[in-house]
Amino acid sequence: MFRPFVPVSLAVAGASTPELEGLIDTGADGVLASDLLAEELGIDLSEHEGEATHAVGGRTVIARYKTVALRLHHHDAGPEELRQWETLVGFVEGWHSFGLVLLGSVGFLDRWTVTASRFAQAIAVEDRNAFDNRFGIVAPA
Amino acid sequence: MKPIRTDFRGYEGKFVATDTRTGKIVIADEDPKVVMEKARKLDHVVVGGRVPHADEPLYVGLG
Repeated sequence: MFRPFVPVSLAVAGASTPELEGLIDTGADGVLASDLLAEELGIDLSEHEGEATHAVGGRTVIARYKTVALRLHHHDAGPEELRQWETLVGFVEGWHSFGLVLLGSVGFLDRWTVTASRFAQAIAVEDRNAFDNRFGIVAPA
Repeated sequence: MKPIRTDFRGYEGKFVATDTRTGKIVIADEDPKVVMEKARKLDHVVVGGRVPHADEPLYVGLG
C-alpha cells in the first residue's frame, strides 16, 4: 500500500536518531513519535513539557511532549540538503508500528506545502509559501 | 522517476530498514535498537518500523 512517507530524523543535545520513515498525516494535530525514539535520544519523558491523550486508530494513546529538532532529509541528496527546525513532539508509549513518526499540522504541515499523489505514487514537499504562490493568499498573516 | 516499492514478505514481526534508492530491506531484526544502530552506520538507509503480520489490524495513523 502506498502511504506518504518522507525521511526524517530527530535530534536533541548532540544525540540524533538515524533517518526514519515519517508518515505525513493531514488528520493529525501535531507531530507524534514512538517512545523508542525518546530512548534513542536519551530523553527522560518524566520531565515532559506537557501530556495529552489522543484518540488514534480506534484507541487512545498518551503522548508526552518534548521540544526536539526535527530534520527533513532528501532521498537523493546529501546532508547539505537537510532542513531542521525545533518543534514539540509527542512521544507515545508502546507505539511500534511501521512509520515511527507521524507528521501532522503543528510542527510539520505549518512549515511545508505537501503534495501527495496516489496516482503518481510520489510526494512533493515544498516551502510553505508554495501554496500561496500556486493558489493565492487564502489566510493573510 | 519510478516509484520505489518494498516487498515486506518474510519480514513480518520484525523491525526493518530499507535502502532509499532501491526500496530493498537491508536490515531486519526483532530488536528495534539493533536496527537503529546498524542504520546509523549506513548511507541511504531509512528505518521504517515494525512490519505487521498479515492477520493484524491495519491501523489508520498510529499503529
